[in-house]
Amino acid sequence: MEQSLANIAGDYLPILVLLAVAIGLGLVLLLAAAVAAVQNPDPEKVSAYECGFNAFDDARMKFDVRFYLVAILFIIFDLEVAFLFPWAVAFQDVSMVGFWSMMVFLAVLTVGFAYEWKKGALEWE
Amino acid sequence: MIGSDLSIILPEIVLSLYAMAALIGIVYTGKDAMASLATWATTAVLVAMAVFIALQPAGTDVAFGGMFIDDGFARFAKVMILLASAAVLAMSHDYMLRRDLLRFEYPILVTLAVVGMMLMVSAGDLMALYVGLELQSLSLYVVASLRRDSVKSTEAGLKYFVLGALSSGLLLYGASLTYGYAGTTLFSGIIESAQGDLSLGLLFGLVFISAGLAFKVSAAPFHMWTPDVYEGSPAPVTAFFATAPKVAAMALFARVVHDAFGGAVGDWQQVIAALSVVSMFVGAIAAIGQTNIKRLMAYSSIAHMGFALMGLAAGTQLGVQAMLIYMAIYVTMNIAAFAFILGMTRDDALVTDISALNMYSKREPLKAVALLVIMFSLAGVPPLVGFIGKLYVLQAAYDAGLAWLAVAGVIASVIGAFYYLRIVYYMYFGEEVDELDNTSSPVLSGFLLAGAAAMVFGIVNLFGIEGIAQAAAATLVN
Amino acid sequence: METILLFAPLVGALICGFGWRLIGETAAQWTATGLLFLSALLSWITFLTFDGQTESIQILRWIESGTLSTDWAIRMDRLTAIMLIVITTVSALVHLYSFGYMAHDDHFKENESYRPRFFAYLSFFTFAMLMLVTADNLLQLFFGWEGVGVASYLLIGFYIRKQSAGAAAIKAFVVNRVGDFGFLLGIFGIYLLTDSIQFDVIFANAADLASINLEFLWREWNAANLIAFLLFIGAMGKSAQFILHTWLPDAMEGPTPVSALIHAATMVTAGVFLVCRMSPIMEFADWTQNFIVAIGALTAFFAATVGLVQNDIKRVIAYSTCSQLGYMFVAAGVGVYSVAMFHLLTHAFFKAMLFLGAGSVIHGMHHEQDMRNYGGLRHKLPWTFRAMMIGTLAITGVGIPLLYVGFPVGFAGFVSKDAIIESAYAAMPGGYAFWVLVAAAAMTSFYSWRLMFLTFYGEPRGDKHTHEHAHESPTVMLVPLGVLAIGAVLAGMVWYKPFFGSEQSVEAYFGVIEKQEKKAEIGFTLVAPAYAAGSDDDHGDDHGTSYPDPLPGQGAIYMGPDNHVLHEAHLVPKWVKVAPFIAMVLGFALSWLMYIRHPGSAAKLAEQQRPLYNFLLNKWYVDEIYDFIFVNPARRIGHFLWKKGDGATIDGGLNGVAMGIVPYFTKKLNQAQSGYVFHYAFAMVIGIAILLTWMTLTGN
Repeated sequence: MEQSLANIAGDYLPILVLLAVAIGLGLVLLLAAAVAAVQNPDPEKVSAYECGFNAFDDARMKFDVRFYLVAILFIIFDLEVAFLFPWAVAFQDVSMVGFWSMMVFLAVLTVGFAYEWKKGALEWE
Repeated sequence: MIGSDLSIILPEIVLSLYAMAALIGIVYTGKDAMASLATWATTAVLVAMAVFIALQPAGTDVAFGGMFIDDGFARFAKVMILLASAAVLAMSHDYMLRRDLLRFEYPILVTLAVVGMMLMVSAGDLMALYVGLELQSLSLYVVASLRRDSVKSTEAGLKYFVLGALSSGLLLYGASLTYGYAGTTLFSGIIESAQGDLSLGLLFGLVFISAGLAFKVSAAPFHMWTPDVYEGSPAPVTAFFATAPKVAAMALFARVVHDAFGGAVGDWQQVIAALSVVSMFVGAIAAIGQTNIKRLMAYSSIAHMGFALMGLAAGTQLGVQAMLIYMAIYVTMNIAAFAFILGMTRDDALVTDISALNMYSKREPLKAVALLVIMFSLAGVPPLVGFIGKLYVLQAAYDAGLAWLAVAGVIASVIGAFYYLRIVYYMYFGEEVDELDNTSSPVLSGFLLAGAAAMVFGIVNLFGIEGIAQAAAATLVN
Repeated sequence: METILLFAPLVGALICGFGWRLIGETAAQWTATGLLFLSALLSWITFLTFDGQTESIQILRWIESGTLSTDWAIRMDRLTAIMLIVITTVSALVHLYSFGYMAHDDHFKENESYRPRFFAYLSFFTFAMLMLVTADNLLQLFFGWEGVGVASYLLIGFYIRKQSAGAAAIKAFVVNRVGDFGFLLGIFGIYLLTDSIQFDVIFANAADLASINLEFLWREWNAANLIAFLLFIGAMGKSAQFILHTWLPDAMEGPTPVSALIHAATMVTAGVFLVCRMSPIMEFADWTQNFIVAIGALTAFFAATVGLVQNDIKRVIAYSTCSQLGYMFVAAGVGVYSVAMFHLLTHAFFKAMLFLGAGSVIHGMHHEQDMRNYGGLRHKLPWTFRAMMIGTLAITGVGIPLLYVGFPVGFAGFVSKDAIIESAYAAMPGGYAFWVLVAAAAMTSFYSWRLMFLTFYGEPRGDKHTHEHAHESPTVMLVPLGVLAIGAVLAGMVWYKPFFGSEQSVEAYFGVIEKQEKKAEIGFTLVAPAYAAGSDDDHGDDHGTSYPDPLPGQGAIYMGPDNHVLHEAHLVPKWVKVAPFIAMVLGFALSWLMYIRHPGSAAKLAEQQRPLYNFLLNKWYVDEIYDFIFVNPARRIGHFLWKKGDGATIDGGLNGVAMGIVPYFTKKLNQAQSGYVFHYAFAMVIGIAILLTWMTLTGN
């Protein structure tokens, strides 16, 4: 297939525009913070922050197991989505068996979800 | 098409639906207050399923394009799994209730594990195999740490989980190698590629899959988790670990080597024979140092798996038959033994040190005799049924030209006899110690006495299991 | 009737052995004895009404396995009938006698119950012996054979606290095993070749065996010879023939009634019975026949020489028994089975009586058995003396030579022993057997009279106190002596005809030619007068054509068509017939000279001929040779295997494994079980690495 360079460039123009906007926005925000914000630093404020933990510290520290619970629950549904994507993409080619299979899968998942909800696994306290 | 497929896996579907319905139903109503009911109901359902499967007409049905195989072999294993699980559930009830362990999830997790096991023994495809295996394993990881406030129980669950994950990794790696070199995950397709001399890739795949399965049957050197997990888990869970999952894993092992690698018997025979001989000796020798009866049973089951693998190593129909018979006998013996162990309490706390059995015969002569029979049978003392099981596998190994393995088995069983007999020794010749509780749970006593009676009266015709096992083996090896 | 007489002793043994606590000791003993007398009565009825025709009475099916088919059955023929009366009569009398003899025994504690046990053993022995002689097949015979062996073992070792009795019992058992092994091999051989162990089938095939060769050990043998030889090995053990005789003198450790019943009258004659029973095979085994003659003659001679110098009264009689059994085997070996049975029968009477008499003396002398401590007892024990005298006259063979009034006139031993000696001469004129037997007869006479003289004549010797209290035995012990005395006097003369008459009468008696009569009546009548004349020298072979020869298995015994020893035995020269009598007189005279006329000359002679005396006193040193060749090496091997083999190697090895190696690995394995997950994972990885390496190297 013969395609002119101009055509290709034209196809990618929106990306270029988005790129430019992103860079611009980032610069504006950084500059705005530097110009407009109140500068009142203390050690807690200037330390790096990640999920409530110190970024540079002994990894073998105690932390709340509830983080794990949330993470695991997240992963379950995350994987479910990973499962759903190809199914959705190939939806037209999937037979009724495929459709109902996914429905069963979702139903089973729902049972599990209902259980954990009722068990209180989703409540922080 | 799909309708017939579904009818073939009807028992699995029924059990799954039951599990989910129970889960939702109970969590929205009585929660743990209904745990008792759930346990008995699950027991009943499992028994009903066992009866249902046992009454299925003979014949082989294949569902989902070969991914699910329902043949005599699978049905034999399934009935064994279902009955063993039901028995363990029935035995668990009192024990767990008294210790406030009886959560309603327990019977449901057992049910799900059973579904996984049933899927395993019927697997006709590497993916079906894996799904079944993981369903089983994940359920077992959880029940292992059922007693959440106990360090040992959580440790058991964690160890089991971590090492199980490792073994799953090995298995998966083997599966992907196999898929890569055979071009299919269906057993029926693999067997066509795996004829005669295996390519190195398939060989590696075979070894990795074997290693993964060896972990599940706790064959040495993939056995290290067993004593710790057996010890840490609540006793009824240990009983469960020692019975149904072993049957499932062993049946799956047989299924894979025969259905998928049936054309390369010589190759896997070496692997299994090596696993077998190492297991027998490790199980026999390491157990001598144990005083904790749960760890003792762990090594006992390692050694017994070695014997079952010996039957499998034969690579013949007789070998599979011997393995099935051996497993059936093993499960029966273990249920009876655990029925006794669950009653070993002092002030309501489980006593696991075997020295607690000193002079037990004076206090409970009947139970002592029953345990004596069980121990003798576990040790393989003639003429008890346990001996017949050993005789079968030895015969199979010998007929297959593995005389050295049979000899090694005999030596190992002699060594192993030591620790079984030591328990008997304690019961009859030891010195007085503090008494155990005189709990007489009718369920536990019933299982113990029935098991002992089976070991004695089974010598007549093994309750006809030989013929059934033979027919079952014939459907797998043809 | 046969069934009742066969099982009555067993019932008696069971009731007496197991039921005495219920019914009491005395009642138990009487039950056993009563049943034995019933059995004896029935035996006599059977014997006297028996017509000589072989019949088989099936009791039950026993073994059905492939071609092996065996019944429990009673084979009634003349041999069986003879043995029945011998066994049950002697046994019944011995039971009775034992009431007196066993009444009190220092070997047992006060109030210890031993009598019912003794009677039960006796009855059990009788049952086993009856089983042996009524057997219809070799297996049943072997059952009885071993049964009597067990009973013999139990009874020899009856004095359980006596070390020597136990040793003697074991010796008897072990030596018999040697013979039994040969016997078993013989049975195997027969089954191999004829595919049956039924007597009927074996006998029918006997002629074929002679034409087959059988591979055994290092070469091929003629089957008939080999099998006959193996069976004879068994007979040698049971009948205490030379080289397997050592157990019999030691067996005298048992109570005396046992010696009389088992080791004189019945069990030891089982070997003779076996050879006669298997006569159809023996007849086809020339080589073995010669061997039997040689062994029999050697035993007769050997035992007689040893008997000359023994001092224990029972041992003298024991060697005498051994010697007489040698006579019987010579008779069987030369092919006159009827004569062998004849001597068996008469011997049973007089030898049982001698033993019971000796028992009576021992009883009266408070269990003193050394003849050097007897002397002059004929006044103290008058009835015993008379009985013993009759027995001695019988065994030494007193009679009137050359007088024939339809039968020879003399004591039982005279008739039957002379018959054997004449047969030996007829079979081998001038052969060694004849001379050896005559010499043995002289020695028999010497030692028998020596026994009489030392015991009943002369001055009392030994412990004075014992002699003062010597007493005659009670009536229950004397009655059996009397009954047996009748037999010892008359048995020879009464049964001369059927056992050692013309071939015709013998064959008719043993049921051989009854059937022939129907087939060849004419031939029979034609030949009969020739037999009656009995003077024709060359009637030899031609009569065989006049009527068909009997087939093996017809009747109780079989004598081949070429076997005319029985006939020729009547035709031996006169000096041959007189020879044993002269030998007997010589023996008597010498004995009289040495023990009555010049007491003390015997001791002097022994002093002069010290080496010879020691040689005889020590029984030709056979036991010492056996100790040297078999017993001590076996003991050394046993000791070696015990200490080094079992102790050091097996025990040491197992202990090393069980207490060293296994615990070491247990420790190692338990150390490996560290509890750390990464150790476990490491083990798995190592495991799979090893498996992969191994499979890569060996797979493909």
